[in-house]
Amino acid sequence: MFSAPGLAAIGAGLVVIGAGVGIGRIAGSAMDGISRQPEASNKIQTAMIIGAALIEGVAFFCAVLCLLALNK
Amino acid sequence: MSSAATDASQAASSGGQDVSAYVIHHVGNSDSWHPLPGVGVPLGGDFHLFGIDLGLSLHALMLLIAGGIVFLLFGILYKKQSDRAPSGITNMLEALVLFVRDEICVNYIGEKDGKRLAPFFLNFFFMVLVLNLMGLIPLFSTATANISVTMGLALITLTMMIIGGIVKNGLVGFFQLFLPPGVPKAVYIILFPIELMGLFIKPFALTIRLFANMLGGHIVIFSLLGLIISFGWFGVPSLALALFVFFLELLVAFIQAFIFTMLSAMFVGDMMHPSH
Repeated sequence: MFSAPGLAAIGAGLVVIGAGVGIGRIAGSAMDGISRQPEASNKIQTAMIIGAALIEGVAFFCAVLCLLALNK
Repeated sequence: MSSAATDASQAASSGGQDVSAYVIHHVGNSDSWHPLPGVGVPLGGDFHLFGIDLGLSLHALMLLIAGGIVFLLFGILYKKQSDRAPSGITNMLEALVLFVRDEICVNYIGEKDGKRLAPFFLNFFFMVLVLNLMGLIPLFSTATANISVTMGLALITLTMMIIGGIVKNGLVGFFQLFLPPGVPKAVYIILFPIELMGLFIKPFALTIRLFANMLGGHIVIFSLLGLIISFGWFGVPSLALALFVFFLELLVAFIQAFIFTMLSAMFVGDMMHPSH
């Protein structure tokens, strides 16, 4: 019913959902924090980038797995 | 291996079937360098040492060229002017160096050790930055989209984490880093292996992040251009999209160099000055 490229594409879509929710939450909370305390925006931005990078790392790991499944 | 031009015509003749194979082939490593369509420079080093292939490959050549560019920037083009404000390329380099030293090294490792280790992390930053940017210039290939290259960089970070931890805390103190205080003794049986695994997972995450970011971006650009092969003239508007992704890649090249350096500094700093 499903072909391997199709399943890999669905997997990539699921990865995007997870990473999007994660990074969206981080960015939203950072916006909240910055608007409450604009003077702390530098520290908040650095922490936000670190968190986003960690989530992005996991998401890319899954994307690579999808790519490997695609080439099977 | 055939040249890039014949590859493209083959892909065009057999429709979109070969586009994905063509894309994968072009972001991968190979034994020859194609600076221009139809021009192939064989690097063909069939040099084996202890059973390991040490011949020059495309990405190894890119690493050498990047090293040459970094040397050119700092060894020749950089002019130290202590009597007046720097200008031109010296100004740009000093701004980047100061950023890495103050915002990354001193911030995450501490005032004294940060300044001592700054050259180490500056090497990371400029090497990764030059490699990333070289991948966006048509002549060259992206060495950071090769997992072996990023793993080599991350192994340097791992070595620095272990050496820094042992030098700063002693051999016993180094292993106490994996036994965080404030938990019941019985929990250490589970916690110690997990913390020890964390030592190796951190460089692994660094490896995957840089590799997948660069590979992913280039595959997106190539795939958008591949739409032209699949759809003919109707695919031409995807050029604009490819251009947009290209500029995004320019940003990503800087961000990934920054993130790689910053996370390395953070990991090394955690091993040298444990907060817990």
